[in-house]
Amino acid sequence: MAVETLPYPRPPMNDPDLGMGKDLLAYQRKMRLIQTAKIGLVWIALVVFLTVALLQLRFDPAYVFNHYNFVLQGLITTLGISLASIGIATILALLGALGKLSNNAIAQGLSGFYVSIFRGTPLLIQIYIIYLGLPQIGHQLQSYGLTELGRLFTLTATQSGILALSLNYGAYMTEIFRAGIQSISLGQREAAESLGMTRWQLMRRIILPQAIRVIIPDIGNQFIAMQKDSAQVSVMGIWEMTFRANRMARQESKFMEMFVIAAVFYWLLTIVSSWLEGLLEKRMAHAYER
Amino acid sequence: MNDNEIIRIENLHKWFGLLHVLRGISFTVKPREVLVLIGRSGSGKSTLLRCINFLEEPSSGTISVAGQTVMMRPGVQVDRQKIISMRLSTGMVFQEFNLFPHMTALENVIEGLLTVKKWSKDKAIPIGEKYLEKVGLQDKRDVHPIRLSGGQKQRVAIARALAMEPKVMLFDEPTSALDPELIGEVLDVMKQLALEGTTMIIVTHEMGFACDVADRIIFIDRGEIVEEGIADNIFNHPQDERTRAFLEPIRKVRLV
Repeated sequence: MAVETLPYPRPPMNDPDLGMGKDLLAYQRKMRLIQTAKIGLVWIALVVFLTVALLQLRFDPAYVFNHYNFVLQGLITTLGISLASIGIATILALLGALGKLSNNAIAQGLSGFYVSIFRGTPLLIQIYIIYLGLPQIGHQLQSYGLTELGRLFTLTATQSGILALSLNYGAYMTEIFRAGIQSISLGQREAAESLGMTRWQLMRRIILPQAIRVIIPDIGNQFIAMQKDSAQVSVMGIWEMTFRANRMARQESKFMEMFVIAAVFYWLLTIVSSWLEGLLEKRMAHAYER
Repeated sequence: MNDNEIIRIENLHKWFGLLHVLRGISFTVKPREVLVLIGRSGSGKSTLLRCINFLEEPSSGTISVAGQTVMMRPGVQVDRQKIISMRLSTGMVFQEFNLFPHMTALENVIEGLLTVKKWSKDKAIPIGEKYLEKVGLQDKRDVHPIRLSGGQKQRVAIARALAMEPKVMLFDEPTSALDPELIGEVLDVMKQLALEGTTMIIVTHEMGFACDVADRIIFIDRGEIVEEGIADNIFNHPQDERTRAFLEPIRKVRLV
């Protein structure tokens, strides 16, 4: 069958004015670079100003240099708790979104109830209930003779922290997943249905792969927020960065020194995370670039 | 339903809320027949086509496709498993192409074979390549839809539907979203299919094309079949006043 097709890749341009376009492009690039450099200078100026101001106000840099390592040792714990929690939260959010979008009344009810409770109460209260409240129930169950079951209700501090963060962020991310799934056009669903796909097949093969790409930036945002919210698990005495900073600060009442250095570590951590998220986003854009 | 019918629609009704979109439609399609549905925007012809593979669930009536029959009554749920199995007898081509943007042209074409028919990749890829070649796009096999022109997208969509080897192909205004210079390449592919004896039901506003390929034309107005017959009769000797009113401006354009 002789059917005309558009040539691809496009043929090389033989435009005599090509130089003009190239000059224009080079100029635009230069202007962008200058703008970026200016903004960078403002940042550097702000950091220098804040540092100098602190040093003028009895800030003790020697204390920071001697003890920053103690805080930094908590970085792995902070990162580990955040990674584990974002992983579990993602699974919960996917299940929650599928529940919200299903026709099943039980699934809809369950996921709606879950999101409402965990978005509607403070993370700190959730941490207390899981860490301090649940063992109370566990003891009661053990007194009924349900020893094994009762033991499950007593969690370590780290387990409690991960569970609380997962449940809390899972609730927020349920809405992100739901919106992402609904952003995929109805035509995609119809095309998949017309091929004879079941609901689950079209969700797995057609809708979710496209939805994930849409919500990657939001998941990245949630991960960054979680790294900071994980500071709240320090109330259970987990040796993560905030707990360590607090402990070292109290020894000689050097609060500004220790909390500033902890803040700097959190900040650097989120900068690296958002950079990695950007790389991931770029990788997933491959199929959508002309 | 006898052997000489591949599709039988009986007394089909469709309600959108209190809007009565299809008012008791009945017709049959013979194997190898090309049936073209024409009518004004909003006459119900697209809805009718979409009812045949249950993208719209009919409110009542009977639909038989390739030996499988479903009867629908208001308030009675239709068995999803049966609908899915009936959908395998039809292939659908949409106005907006609806290619899967995260897959290459070839992956689009073999997706149904892999996921629905559970074929291995080794078995599916040669079939996919065969149908891409049929629509003249074998050199685009590894290209994502965003890099295809509208006409190329629609031809990949046709290949995707053909790869499932359906008994009947359904076309829902396949050229309405295309720039005028890209319509020809899609119509060429469809003409070729018609010549090969593919059973097709086509909703279109391309009257010249309809005239060329249609074995039979059905004119629909306000959810009812007003007139049906061979192309020559409908276009040159319409019996019903409404058919005449619909075709008059089109015939004038052709004379100019």
